Amino acid sequence: MLEAYVPILIFVFVATGFAIFTLIMSGLLHPERYNKVKLEPYECGIEPETDARDRYSIRYYLVAMLFVIFDVETVFMFPWAVIMDELALFGLIEMIVFLFILVVGYVYAWRKGALEWA
Amino acid sequence: MLEITPTHYLVLSAGLFMIGVIGVMVRRNIIIIFMSIELMLNAVNVNLAAFSQQWQHVTGQVFAVFVIAVAAAEAAVGLGIILAFYRNKETVNIDEMNVMRW
Amino acid sequence: MAEAIVFYGLAALILGFAVLVISTRNTVHSALYLVVNFLLVAMLYVMLGAEFLAAIQVLVYAGGIVVLYLFVVMLVNLKRPPETHQDPRRQTRLGLALASALLAELAAIIVYSATGESAPAATAAAAAGADIAGGNVEQIGMLLYTNYLIPFEVASMLLLVAMIGAIVLAKREL
Repeated sequence: MLEAYVPILIFVFVATGFAIFTLIMSGLLHPERYNKVKLEPYECGIEPETDARDRYSIRYYLVAMLFVIFDVETVFMFPWAVIMDELALFGLIEMIVFLFILVVGYVYAWRKGALEWA
Repeated sequence: MLEITPTHYLVLSAGLFMIGVIGVMVRRNIIIIFMSIELMLNAVNVNLAAFSQQWQHVTGQVFAVFVIAVAAAEAAVGLGIILAFYRNKETVNIDEMNVMRW
Repeated sequence: MAEAIVFYGLAALILGFAVLVISTRNTVHSALYLVVNFLLVAMLYVMLGAEFLAAIQVLVYAGGIVVLYLFVVMLVNLKRPPETHQDPRRQTRLGLALASALLAELAAIIVYSATGESAPAATAAAAAGADIAGGNVEQIGMLLYTNYLIPFEVASMLLLVAMIGAIVLAKREL
């Protein structure tokens, strides 16, 4: 059974190997001629004003939290979708109840402005 | 030794759980403590999956799905509490979290 | 044989990364080690024949929960790194002692169960479970939406409460 995962393993090795190979090769081959502009985080564009390790807005947390909650919701929906035919109407009602409860939360989040970015 | 039995998985899960316990006991940073709790929940899931394989029945895996749902809820609320606390005390050190209200 | 090599390799990596998670000073590094740990545990689920569990481990843990952790680490970014000041109440020794006591307890259980009568073979249970046909996801679905219907609906309630609770806790700055 585990043999079925050999292609994935090869894929992982090739992906990692390619990244390491590229880093090493470009490190060996590239000429080293630095100047101040080249070493800036963005060669063209807005100059960075503060350190990247600054406090972030709490909205990032809210978005990530909502993502996790709805992620778990989809996880519950995958097995339901696979056996939809066998469960028939019963399964549909189950899932409607499940979704209704979560939509209540979604409406709450919306009304409280958790989804607004501005 | 070369044949992998469910006991092997249980020992691994016990080790993982132990590392989580040590993390909760020793570290003072509450975010690391939460990560240790996630490690322990993972150990429990490995346990459930191992038993599920031993008995050739998926009930254990269904329970593991519920454990993951609970872990997600725990992370959402727990980290919310950390943020609310940080807003008031500007620290994530649990030794300084010693009042119920302020 | 091959299974043994894969298992021991995975086990060593899982435990090693778990130790890194709890021992690194930098919280961001801890979160990144946690991702690796979760991915390795997902591989363990594949070995145990729990493909669905492996998929949601990657989807929810590695893809969702760790991102949440990273955002919170960024949000509570401290100019002074935590734990630099030596705390007199730091209970490292007590923690290690408690953990080793728990380890001894578990070791005793393992030795006891290894010397006692071995676990009954899975044949009877396999016969009980064999009536659920289909792949891993179908089996989980069949059980989840029939036997565990109420826990499933309660789970949605739990997620609702978690969502509302987290919004209330974080809302003051909105």
